[in-house]
Amino acid sequence: MEHQHNAKNPNKSMTAEEMNMTSEEHAKMMGGEHSKSHNHNQPVDNSEIVKWKRKLILTWIFTIPIALFMLFEKIFGKMIFGDLTSWIILAIGFPVIFVFGFETIKGGLRGFVTFYFNMDSLISLGTIIAYISGFLNFFGIVQDYSGIAAMIMSFYITGKYFEVKARGRASQEIIKLLHLGAKNARVLRNKQEIEIPIEEIKIGDIMIIKPGEKIPTDGIVIKGESAVDESMITGESIPNEKKIGNNVIGATINQDGILYVKATKIGKDTFLAHIIELVEEAQGTKVPIQKLADKITSIFIPTVLIISILTLIAWYIITKDFSKSLGITISVLVIACPCALGLATPTALMVGSGMGAKKGILIRKGEAIQTMKEIKIIVFDKTGTITKGKPEVTNIFSEVKENYLLEVAASLEKLSEHPVARAIVNKALEFKIKKYKSVEKFKILRGKGVEGYIGKKKIVIGNELLINERKISIKGFEDKIHKFEEEGKTTMIVSENDKVIGVIAVADALKEDSIEAIQLLNLSGYRTVMITGDNEKTAKSIAKQVGIKEVIANVLPEDKVKKIEELQMQGMVSFVGDGVNDAPALKQSNVGIAMGTGTDIAIESGDIVLTNGSLKGVVSAINLSKETFKKIKQNLFWAFAYNVIAIPIAIAGFLSPVIAEIAMATSSISVVTNANLLRNKRI
Amino acid sequence: MKKIKLTVEGMHCASCASNIERALKKVAGIKSVCVAILLNKVIIEAENNIDINEITKAISKVGYKVVKIE
Repeated sequence: MEHQHNAKNPNKSMTAEEMNMTSEEHAKMMGGEHSKSHNHNQPVDNSEIVKWKRKLILTWIFTIPIALFMLFEKIFGKMIFGDLTSWIILAIGFPVIFVFGFETIKGGLRGFVTFYFNMDSLISLGTIIAYISGFLNFFGIVQDYSGIAAMIMSFYITGKYFEVKARGRASQEIIKLLHLGAKNARVLRNKQEIEIPIEEIKIGDIMIIKPGEKIPTDGIVIKGESAVDESMITGESIPNEKKIGNNVIGATINQDGILYVKATKIGKDTFLAHIIELVEEAQGTKVPIQKLADKITSIFIPTVLIISILTLIAWYIITKDFSKSLGITISVLVIACPCALGLATPTALMVGSGMGAKKGILIRKGEAIQTMKEIKIIVFDKTGTITKGKPEVTNIFSEVKENYLLEVAASLEKLSEHPVARAIVNKALEFKIKKYKSVEKFKILRGKGVEGYIGKKKIVIGNELLINERKISIKGFEDKIHKFEEEGKTTMIVSENDKVIGVIAVADALKEDSIEAIQLLNLSGYRTVMITGDNEKTAKSIAKQVGIKEVIANVLPEDKVKKIEELQMQGMVSFVGDGVNDAPALKQSNVGIAMGTGTDIAIESGDIVLTNGSLKGVVSAINLSKETFKKIKQNLFWAFAYNVIAIPIAIAGFLSPVIAEIAMATSSISVVTNANLLRNKRI
Repeated sequence: MKKIKLTVEGMHCASCASNIERALKKVAGIKSVCVAILLNKVIIEAENNIDINEITKAISKVGYKVVKIE
């Protein structure tokens, strides 16, 4: 305690000193940092929006006069500049289509060469046919659609501008995440503080982080003490106290003290880099419901091209009016929109996973979103998921001296990595036991305990299962053992030469919000199940405390998968566990939810990863998945409905080409906007 | 098996995504293609000895440009 106090003091005073002495400088620095971080807080790629905005303005400057000329003709029945008008429209329309629309036309026409069509192919063909009709008109072949061509392109560009803007909004959280990292770091090199770009940090560098600054990269605190705001990574709004020996995450913000941090991970290995990789990859994953849409998109354009040719032929045969037939064909070409179909899923997924990432919920696979609504059973691993996963020795009951018991137990347990073993070793340290006995023929019996020889004495330490297996009598200890178990404690029975010498009870405290989270899930009608290697009594006691009715106890780690398979016969199962030990169970379940363990995330397991350890994240993840999936369904419905309704109307000749183009632009904007509405949902 | 992440310019609609998928699936050695259209990213799983040039060529042939390879 005293030691800690001393260690804390110099730093605190240093912070204060710094603040007093150089308050001006400090303010400047903070300001500098602020403007810097402001820069990366404005990361949505604006260049695309700016580009379309410029096109939008230019194109309308040219198109508005054309629209006025056409209006004049409609009202007064004659052309404003007489025969010259057609030439003027062709001249003004040229830059609209071939300069401002260059990118669109070029990309679109390439499709006709490579047979890899995109939606620009339809627009390009429609506008070019319409524009050429202006020349053909001079020979009296067909009505002049060149003014219409300019208007189609202008509305297309307008629609594109709004769509790009809405798409920018849809991806803002994720783009923010991509730019979250610090740009510079202050490191100690040759006893001097120097500022270097983040890329130049090496593992082992000592970084100095002042209040208000971003921690440049993952590391371990070697000096100082401070609260660190980790909300951008874990969604946890309460700052985390960090002191010597604690891990800190790059891109989180140091709040009030100076921290000296030794860099432990850099570049691609950092926590943030892992999160980014995970989120980015998720965007490309498929949601099963989208399959049909994908299939349609892939044959959409050739199909529409064929339909438009058939429309032209059919209308010409019926009406013998080539002008009218051509107008209708142009409408069909521009109204068909694979875009809305294609954007329906990715935009909703993007908004949903962005919202999740902000709260520490990382959706790894789009499929999970769809499966989530089918989930009936949620299985929780006990240790580290419902409980904190840091067991402590609470009771010791023995016939020999406590010191002796602990010495024997710790000598064996220090060779094991198990959390319960660690709890026993920690207790031994508390008892100031320093010398351990040397152990021979040591063996770990997974899920049961440990055994070995100290000198000639055979020591077996383990649960009742193991002790029974070895036919060691627990007479005289039953009452104590059962009492501990009923309290939800794990009991380790220590035996020497096949005779029990004592019992050590270990308890693992519940996480603060486990009870609330389980209650919410129970209320929503989920069947909640706890699975653990603990014996029935201990497990039941914990389950009762947390509100879970069903317990599967005495499960060896390798049997978890089997138990989940059994449950899957009764309904879709989601498994919640830590990503390290439970990877097979996470994979086996229909939706695996991996709980983060502080500074490490198990990337490869889990369809959804929670970066903060709270079980409430499970509730949020379920809500988020359901809401996102709802949006995907809505979007797909509207995109399908739009094409199914709009194309026949255009074929029937009820839509002028300009109205058709406006309808098309509106359809893709509405899909993206609808996805953005997901943000209004509370998760 | 290795993972290749590309940033591709010029994808602006769903047809573009399916064009790239189609084009890349024809390249030998590519196991899976994932297009994250809103991020302009294409994530490829391919055999270790794959020729990156083959990939960029396939993409540029259908009209898009690879601007970054990770």
